[in-house]
Amino acid sequence: MLLQIIASGLLLGGIYALVSIGLNLIFGVIKIVNLAHGDFLMMGMYATFFLYTLKDINPYAATLIVFPAFVLIGVLIFRLIIKPLLGKAETEVNTIIATAGLGFVLQNLALMLWKSDFRAIETNLTGKSYEFGGIMLSSGRTWAFVVCVVVALILYYILMKTKIGTHVRAVSQDTDAAILMGINVNRIYTLTFAVGIALVGLAGCIITPTFYVYPTVGLYFNTMAFIIVVLGGLGSFTGALIGGLLIGLVESFAGVIASAELAQVFSLLIFLIILFVKPEGIMGKGARV
Amino acid sequence: MKQKQSLMVMGILTLVLLAVYFLPLITFVKHILVLTLFYAFLGTGWNLMCGYAGRLSLGHAAFVAVGAYTSLLLFREFNLTPWIGMLAGGVFAVLVMLLIAYPSFRFGLKGPYFTLASIAVAEIVHNLLVYGRDITGGSLGMSLPYVPTSLAMFQFDGKEPYYLVILAFWLAAVFLTLKMERTRYYLEAIREDQDAAAALGISVNNNLIIAACISAFLVAIGGTFYVQYFRYIDPYSIAGFTLSLNMALVVVIGGSGTIFGPTIGAFILIPLTEVLRMTLGSQLPGLHLFLYGVLLVACIIFLPKGIASLPAIIKARQVKKTARVTQGSEGVL
Repeated sequence: MLLQIIASGLLLGGIYALVSIGLNLIFGVIKIVNLAHGDFLMMGMYATFFLYTLKDINPYAATLIVFPAFVLIGVLIFRLIIKPLLGKAETEVNTIIATAGLGFVLQNLALMLWKSDFRAIETNLTGKSYEFGGIMLSSGRTWAFVVCVVVALILYYILMKTKIGTHVRAVSQDTDAAILMGINVNRIYTLTFAVGIALVGLAGCIITPTFYVYPTVGLYFNTMAFIIVVLGGLGSFTGALIGGLLIGLVESFAGVIASAELAQVFSLLIFLIILFVKPEGIMGKGARV
Repeated sequence: MKQKQSLMVMGILTLVLLAVYFLPLITFVKHILVLTLFYAFLGTGWNLMCGYAGRLSLGHAAFVAVGAYTSLLLFREFNLTPWIGMLAGGVFAVLVMLLIAYPSFRFGLKGPYFTLASIAVAEIVHNLLVYGRDITGGSLGMSLPYVPTSLAMFQFDGKEPYYLVILAFWLAAVFLTLKMERTRYYLEAIREDQDAAAALGISVNNNLIIAACISAFLVAIGGTFYVQYFRYIDPYSIAGFTLSLNMALVVVIGGSGTIFGPTIGAFILIPLTEVLRMTLGSQLPGLHLFLYGVLLVACIIFLPKGIASLPAIIKARQVKKTARVTQGSEGVL
């Protein structure tokens, strides 16, 4: 029983971590809070849902369509909404409000187009689980976990070993110095935002087999994603993974012992305490912002 | 705006709004007016901490909820008049705020971190309200037991008395903001440069905490008004993210850190939402909020300092124009 709770908690944590990777990238590099993050997840889930029901495309294969499509959407949103707001005195407040407004737009667009019905897809993984020595692991969530680790590794490789990754890290650490070194900050911002959005779209594909899709599904994941990003530390992917797993475990345990609402309260309290005591996150190295 | 000018604007606004009371308006318009003043009041409370001191809270609904649930529970269980329940709710909200504000400011939480903490606090209150279903009615919410029109019990059958009450609340909040002249300057100094403000001898934490507590108190009183007016509350509508966001939007769109910004924002946004809802809401669910969202984003992009900054922008344009004209004439000479 104990092992089962831990296993379920870890799998749930993997999903949270996967959802928050894109947010971590945007928050860490551009230093803006994208409150529409969960709503992009919702859009990714709808895309996957319709690709599956209308075109019979497997959710995992759908990533190949959703990822590039969301890169384009990300570039567009960045150019239209985020860029005009950057570099001003009110940037912090205004990007938060603007992305909240964007979230409003996306949620209600979904409501208009697809109604508030809960939708789910049934793939060959639905309801199945793998068994390891008496522990049942939901197939969909196990694959989500695997994808999460793979994505984190690829991203880590790109950030640490490639030139463009070095540029991104430079901009993240000191924008002014990066400009002086001849890095095109605007291009790095656009790229980061687009990839961040695409990553959450990808997460939408991966979690669609195990979660219902409805216009406000993003709100739930939004809070979780922010908790995990701050817990783990900005720009730290290992941190995000650990943060995700920690929250997954807390929710899993508290959900068994108390109730779903209290489980969330526990996660939020941990979040607040970390925020007060170590705002740079569990794995964060940087100074306080 | 100078203090005297602001006082005059406040007086004129109050007289106009009082005159509106005597107009023979249809119920729908009266409802919109009450709602507008309600948001103008909440916004003015929110503005005190979040506008002047620049600490963006997207969790103020938590304090609205604390105020609303406190006065409603006191009324249901002990038949205590909501007028006193309202003050109790305000005090309770201040205590909750202290619990959060003290560590937040003590540990120097700023920018997005403060905003995230505020969202977390509202989520905690929301979850606790759902969890405590034996007392709070859980997600089903609670209704206000009906009492025929009674000033003592803060319940009226028509909309008109509520209009007067919220007008008085709004006036009190604006007046309070005006009277806190010194604190306002301190808060602005802290917003612009915390270290410089501290170096000048301004007690950063004390001023922030005072602003936060007054802000929580006012907003909690708004919560009691909400219960008395709508006669029903549930955690989703009163502690949810939407209310927190709406409070912030009214201020940011109107002009945060200005005395009348929240009021301007409320008078533009709230009638707009209600009319959109009225005309489009029944045709296609979501369309009115979709348009609302688009307008918000456009407003933030084109008027980042809010509508209150419009006169200054126009003035700057004119100055530029005259400058160009004089330059031009110099060129000719």
